[in-house]
Amino acid sequence: MTEFLDLEAQDGVRMPWNVIPGTKQESTNCVVPVSAIYTPIKAFPELPVLPYSPLRCRTCRSVLNPFSIVDFAAKLWICPFCFQRNHFPPHYASISDDNLPAELFPQYTTIEYASPEEAQRPSMPPVFVFVLDTCIIEEELGFLKSALLQAIGLLPGHALVGLITFGTLVQVHELGFGAMPKAYVFRGSKEVTKELLLEQMSFFAKKPKPATGVIAGVRDGLDAESIARFLVPASECEFAINAVLDELQRDPWPVPSDQRATRCTSTALSVAASLLGACVPGSGARIMAFIGGPSTEGQAAIVSKNLSEPIRSHKDLDKDSVPCYHKAVKFYEGVAKQLVNQGHVLDLFACALDQVGVAELKVAVERTGGLVVLAESFGHSVFKDSVRRVFQSGEHDLGLSSNGIFEINCSKDVKVQGIIGPCASLEKKGPLCSDTAIGQGHTSAWKLCGLDKATALCLFFDIAKKDGQDAAMQSTNNLFYFQFLTYYQHGSGQMRLRVTTLSRRWVAGPGSVQELIAGFDQEAAAVVMARQVSFKMETEADFDPIRWLDRALIHLCSRFGDYQKDSPSTFSLSPRLSIFPQFMFHLRRSQFLQVFNNSPDETAYFRMILNRENVANSVVMIQPSLISYSFHTGPEPALLDVAAIAADRILLLDAFVTVVIFHGATIAQWRKAGYQNQPEHQAFAQLLQGPHADADAIIKERFPVPRLVVCDQHGSQARFLLAKLNPSATYNSDAPAPGGDIIFTDDVSFGVFLDHLQRLAVQ
Amino acid sequence: MAAFVPPGAHRPGGNNSNQSPSAQQHPPPPNFGNSPAALADNLQNMNLNRPHSAPRPSPFSQPPPPYSFSGPSPGYRPGSQLMARPGPSPPNAITRPMGPPSGALPGVAPGRPMAPPGTRPPPPGSLPSSMGSHMGLSPRAPAFTGGQATAPPPPGVSPRPLTTGILTPPPPGPTQAGPVSNGPPVGSGPRFGSPGGMSSSVPPPTGPSSPSAPAQVPSMGPFMTGPPPTSMPAAPPFSGQPPFSAQPPFSGQPPFSVPPPPAMGPPQGSPFAAQPWQMRPDQMVRPPSGPGSAQPPQMYGMPAHLPNQSMTSISPGMAPTGASVGGPSKIDPNQIPRPIPSSAVILHETRQSDQANPPPPATSDYIVSDTGNCSPRYMRCTINQIPCTADLLATSGMQLALLVQPLALPHPSEEPIQVVDFGETGPVRCSRCKGYLNPFMRFIDQGKKFICNLCGFTDETPRDYHCNLGPDGRRRDANERPELCRGSVEFVATKEYMIREPMPAVYFFLIDVSMNAMQIGATAAACSAISQVIADLPEGPRTMVGIATFDSTIHFYHLKRALQQPLMLVVPDIQDVYTPLQSDVIVPLSECRQHLELLLESIPTMFQNNRTAESAFGAAIKAAFLAMKSTGGKLLVFQSVLLSVGIGALSAREAEGRTNISAGEKEAHKLLQPADKTLKTMAIEFAEYQVCVDVFLTTQSYIDIASISVVPRTTGGQVYYYHPFSVLSDTAKLYNDLRWNITRPQGFEAVMRVRCSQGIQVQEYLGNFCKRIPTDIDLAGIDCDKTIMVTLKHDDKLPDGSEFAFQCALLYTTLYGQRRIRVTNLSLSVTSMLSSLFRVADLDAQFTCLLKQAAMDIPSSPLVQVREQPVNTCINILLSYRKFCATVSSSGQLILPEALKLLPLYTLALIKSTGLRPDGKIDDRSFWINYVSSISTPLAIPLVYPRMIPIHDLKTREEEGSIVPSSIPLSSEHISDGGIYLLENGDDALIYVGGSVDSGILQQLFGASTVEEIPSQFVLQQYDNPVSKKLNEVVNEIRRQRCSYLRLRLCKKGDPSGMLFFSQLVEDKNHGSMSYVEFLVHIHRQIQTRMT
Repeated sequence: MTEFLDLEAQDGVRMPWNVIPGTKQESTNCVVPVSAIYTPIKAFPELPVLPYSPLRCRTCRSVLNPFSIVDFAAKLWICPFCFQRNHFPPHYASISDDNLPAELFPQYTTIEYASPEEAQRPSMPPVFVFVLDTCIIEEELGFLKSALLQAIGLLPGHALVGLITFGTLVQVHELGFGAMPKAYVFRGSKEVTKELLLEQMSFFAKKPKPATGVIAGVRDGLDAESIARFLVPASECEFAINAVLDELQRDPWPVPSDQRATRCTSTALSVAASLLGACVPGSGARIMAFIGGPSTEGQAAIVSKNLSEPIRSHKDLDKDSVPCYHKAVKFYEGVAKQLVNQGHVLDLFACALDQVGVAELKVAVERTGGLVVLAESFGHSVFKDSVRRVFQSGEHDLGLSSNGIFEINCSKDVKVQGIIGPCASLEKKGPLCSDTAIGQGHTSAWKLCGLDKATALCLFFDIAKKDGQDAAMQSTNNLFYFQFLTYYQHGSGQMRLRVTTLSRRWVAGPGSVQELIAGFDQEAAAVVMARQVSFKMETEADFDPIRWLDRALIHLCSRFGDYQKDSPSTFSLSPRLSIFPQFMFHLRRSQFLQVFNNSPDETAYFRMILNRENVANSVVMIQPSLISYSFHTGPEPALLDVAAIAADRILLLDAFVTVVIFHGATIAQWRKAGYQNQPEHQAFAQLLQGPHADADAIIKERFPVPRLVVCDQHGSQARFLLAKLNPSATYNSDAPAPGGDIIFTDDVSFGVFLDHLQRLAVQ
Repeated sequence: MAAFVPPGAHRPGGNNSNQSPSAQQHPPPPNFGNSPAALADNLQNMNLNRPHSAPRPSPFSQPPPPYSFSGPSPGYRPGSQLMARPGPSPPNAITRPMGPPSGALPGVAPGRPMAPPGTRPPPPGSLPSSMGSHMGLSPRAPAFTGGQATAPPPPGVSPRPLTTGILTPPPPGPTQAGPVSNGPPVGSGPRFGSPGGMSSSVPPPTGPSSPSAPAQVPSMGPFMTGPPPTSMPAAPPFSGQPPFSAQPPFSGQPPFSVPPPPAMGPPQGSPFAAQPWQMRPDQMVRPPSGPGSAQPPQMYGMPAHLPNQSMTSISPGMAPTGASVGGPSKIDPNQIPRPIPSSAVILHETRQSDQANPPPPATSDYIVSDTGNCSPRYMRCTINQIPCTADLLATSGMQLALLVQPLALPHPSEEPIQVVDFGETGPVRCSRCKGYLNPFMRFIDQGKKFICNLCGFTDETPRDYHCNLGPDGRRRDANERPELCRGSVEFVATKEYMIREPMPAVYFFLIDVSMNAMQIGATAAACSAISQVIADLPEGPRTMVGIATFDSTIHFYHLKRALQQPLMLVVPDIQDVYTPLQSDVIVPLSECRQHLELLLESIPTMFQNNRTAESAFGAAIKAAFLAMKSTGGKLLVFQSVLLSVGIGALSAREAEGRTNISAGEKEAHKLLQPADKTLKTMAIEFAEYQVCVDVFLTTQSYIDIASISVVPRTTGGQVYYYHPFSVLSDTAKLYNDLRWNITRPQGFEAVMRVRCSQGIQVQEYLGNFCKRIPTDIDLAGIDCDKTIMVTLKHDDKLPDGSEFAFQCALLYTTLYGQRRIRVTNLSLSVTSMLSSLFRVADLDAQFTCLLKQAAMDIPSSPLVQVREQPVNTCINILLSYRKFCATVSSSGQLILPEALKLLPLYTLALIKSTGLRPDGKIDDRSFWINYVSSISTPLAIPLVYPRMIPIHDLKTREEEGSIVPSSIPLSSEHISDGGIYLLENGDDALIYVGGSVDSGILQQLFGASTVEEIPSQFVLQQYDNPVSKKLNEVVNEIRRQRCSYLRLRLCKKGDPSGMLFFSQLVEDKNHGSMSYVEFLVHIHRQIQTRMT
């Protein structure tokens, strides 16, 4: 395992198959697709940043890298992807075996370029447009205002700020108007296009409208003055923002008691997108939407105003009985497309007890690489702390970057199927593209409007090599090369290019199984499977995820397991594979597959997080980690099983979006009795303290900030823990539960699952 | 007022018996006391109004000061009024009655108070008139004979003609009825004494006319006989006095208007003398001629030729006349009929001897005593008797129509309309036709039942309302109940009359801030006007205000108090507008006063650099409407450029219209029609939600009034037009117009219906309103200046000699949220005699109808046709008269019915008016059309036949009595190159400066020593010299009379502006039309042709 972690530490890449099945047939047999989970701008402590432009291959545009073969004498290099021979330019004249440029150092497989031209260009300040829902109760509005004021206080002074509020109508505040607070008001039920917006917001008052061409930004027809009306430096807008926020009231339009408030979320977002598209296209900008309820007005209403109509559930979606769902999704696809074109991000902060339409918004948030936070209230710490995390700088900053473009080069026998993750296809077709697509496919370049140092993409590859060609190729070379190029606007405003070049060995033919097993990264595999199955659930009608997963697992086990046919008891798995069934077991029980306990919003939320997190975090989502604290031993990992529960233990469950501290019955009793406050029971106090300290450490580095649940055995909140545990003891188990707790479920336990698996695998 | 009537009756006797003094004393106190107080109570608004109230004068004088002056209003105090009036009367002696008062005016406060109450200078006038009337009967004859023996040989007749009653009266004349009835005729005398005799009934002008200007007199003379004019001078008056013994007139006066009597007492002799006798001669003349028939008396006969005819006949060139003999060239222009303005006040009782009393001319100054019929201010019929058949009417060539001005300003001395509250049951109404109880419903069967005078149905009297009948067949309580003894009364409406709570007073201001509006200063002017006018809005929680500005977008302002500053909300979608807030755009005035002031102050600077040239007027009013929809209210729009974007954008005819001049002959009138139906559709919706739109057009270019005006017209609003807008000279007018608009008496969410007795139906309503069902008209707003014309149609023969009734009911909400029904009743007798119709024809009303109809036709018919129409009507009327009522006279003479003798002049003026002139600018014509559509009768005449007064010799003529010098005919012959003249038509005023004016006068009036130095953007200023002060007084007085802050423009000789001035002189040959004399000849020829 550790070697995989090392590789990740060097390049930010994890692959299920680090030894790659060398032919199409073999890769199909391997069940888990050949894929990679790549964190494009993972923070590396010693990442070299080269102050010059990269050298690129003349034909395939790949960048010079340590795997290139360099002919020092001839001053040329051979591209490992296309084998093109490229001459070094004059300034590389002094290159020699002992005078290598950094990009050729073997350990610098990942390297960053910041070209000097870029450094000289005036860097664009980051732009934030806040979109606030005002159809919320006064109390919530108060929380929201204070969170926002705090956020703006944390912004760098040069960052540009815009403000849009909405309810029945959309108000675009002209913060740069000195005389008095001023806002443009748009009707919530009507679509506002960019052209309309340009015209109606007097962008051409001082400068005539150009007769032709796209109008966008200062370079293309707008004068800076009119842009400055809506986007104002954070250091200058404090008064204006305060003036607006101070007097910000609930949406004043009356709401009949049997109706939902009229909330035109989609129009507001579309206006925000158009405003940014007009003012700062192509430059990093974020729309931060703070939404407190379902959209009921405009193109992408998710539910009617009538309260008697409930908001859609998974069941409704399955039955396809929610006509507005598809319309809304389609609308947001349009918004996503627009934002992607402009290079802007949509961040979503949804805080409501009921659903707000995250499921519909998902497409726009995910394609633009936006952040998403779902909480119950604007007063909840999940929201407040998350907002703070977004803007805070320092050790735990998110490293928000923007406007990225991600490109792939790889060896000619490998093709790219697509990416599941927060990105959007740029539709750059080429020989690299596979015919089949997974996620954002049919392209070799993607737009990453928003990305941060944790953003992880899952790339799917297709091995194109046919069996017949083996002999010839194998003799010469059994390496595949991958090169990932990420061109992005760094937090400093500077444009950077990060290049990661990988080489992986491929194997084929008989006897390759052991090699494949040796290169199998089961954690990465589990995560890839999770992303893939989630994606399939969303996109394929009548898809049965359980069956699909089970078959995959059985397939995998029968191919890579050790057994005698038809003898389940002889079945065993290599340690490389041994935990994989367990991951699959928990994946089957996870919120990604078992959606009926959740609203469509929650499901969408979980999947969006899954799709942007790295392997380690994703594994926690699939199979939460459990740590046990007791007087007898120090903190130790515990089996994610109901058996882990004991009256004299404290359990810490980390399920990524929730962190649960669970006090065993006895512990809880003691705590309630206040022993921890007595000096003679300091040990107890320390025991109680331990999980809290660990939980804090987890919470501190995580985004969105997880919800901390502190509960006691048999308490109602204990369900957060029980839901995640393997139900080895249920109400109909024969044996008495070891920990004194049982789970009320008919689900099979892991033991039963494994039995079945073994039985089926050996057939 | 009721009290007066009796005294009135006495008077006659009193007059005869010298009781006059006592009578005088009595009446005055009551009237005064009442009227002032009443005014104060009733018409607070009025007081506030600019022109009327004392304060106003100052405001008018110059833009800046005006505002501050609001304070003065107190001037109204009854006391002051009293003072004023009495003042006038005494002075009457020789000069006009006004004389003294005017003197007082200069003094300042006292004079004004007077003025304010009455729209016109009542006090002075009233006295004389009353005098005149009394004089009529007994005294006259003597007077005439004695004083002016020569002229009117046959005195005896006179009395009859005067009285409507006609034949019978003469004998009784001396008795009560007679005298009273005579009164009016006498009045006529005076007029006629002045330049042109009006209808006999109305006697206002006499006093002033005679004294006013010798010049006039001469003119008069011609018509009369030679002698009268000459008599004019002082001497005659005195001689007159003797007849005066006649003093009766005096006594008579008291009854009418309180004011006169007191004053009168002492001065009587002399003043009267002057007036009365002048009058008499005229009348005298007539009577003799017409003794036989009723007609004759009324007509003014040419002395020599028409002894028989009572009518004045002018024989132009054709026939040998006393005055003018031979061809047209020989017509003495000084002898043809002309209006004789008078500042004398006429006292008018609406009914006498149980008969309708023909009202005084609308343009005169009169005080009404409501004795059963409503005041003619509220409702006026074109003919004061109803022809019994449609054929008879058709034969006369005249039109039967009503001019209804339901909220007209009463004279301050008049009794206010009484409010009657029937409690929860609501007003008593006929169960069949729903007519309201009125003095003409007859109670029968011991009062248990009553017969509706409108539909003839017999209803049960409600039990609570029962009352026994007296011996005269009237209810015993008839005199205590206003609804049974007054022609006008106001009922408190019950819940039944409300669909919702009465609406609050909502004022929404919408200001154009586009580039042009900013650059010409219109926005700043509007803001400053609004911010000053806010103080005049009614106090209290029911007053709500909102404000928005617009260019190519619409900017609302969130005025809620909690905000540190107002929040500006921009509505950018001008194709599909909406209101940005549900509430808080319109907030109670008390909660936003400071914000509002701050905002109005900052708007001009905020948009200083606005580069948006487009204007979304249509979208803006729509958005404002949406904001007001829930309540309704007044929407006041200040617009400076053509509506060019958004809803209802006007672009198609932009090119044609840009030039703002008529686009050739072909289809020219198309540009006077609205461009499309968009605004009309919107306006109908506005009206439905009770939003009344007033538009202030401050522009320097074409703005397409034809299209825009549809909105105010449909919603009961008004168009104000300032073109070319000048910050310097129009700011003050804008403010004053706005102020009057807001402070004048007015109502909201009104519905009006006119009911008639059986036999006649309402055919059509014309005016500013929205009509959704055939019988009613909806008025989102109705104010004291709005008049509605109601045309009538016979559908049956009426019984001769019966009474025929009209009832106008206006259901409306007051500023203070009370729901009221104002009911005005007019009952006229039915006649089968054509001659009677001519005798009681109401010239002013007739002409107003002609005017309105012409205006209505302009946009839809070719101009030639429109111009022909009034001329034909005029000819037809005169022809009918000539044919059926003046058969005796020789065919060589042009014979005009006395009551309609000015019809040709007005007709000529009409076809030369802005609207009918082919060379007028499109917007000017559209504005004119629109202005006419709601114009009141008193303002209709000056609109086409403006008043011109010389102002270069103000000082020298100071002693004349009236503040405003008497006018001179609109003929260039009367313009001297060394003179300065003021010409006003109730809306515009031109000051013409001749080429060789004495530089001293120039210096005094304009602060410049030569004509060239006077800036063309003229602002009337008051300099520290008597002449300038006097001029300011005069102008302020005119403003007060017209309820309008005139647009003063300076015209210099030899300048285009000078041409403008001369184009107003309608008696001249200009605009490709005939001169007055030529026109008379033309008419005469036409009549002759048709006769044969």
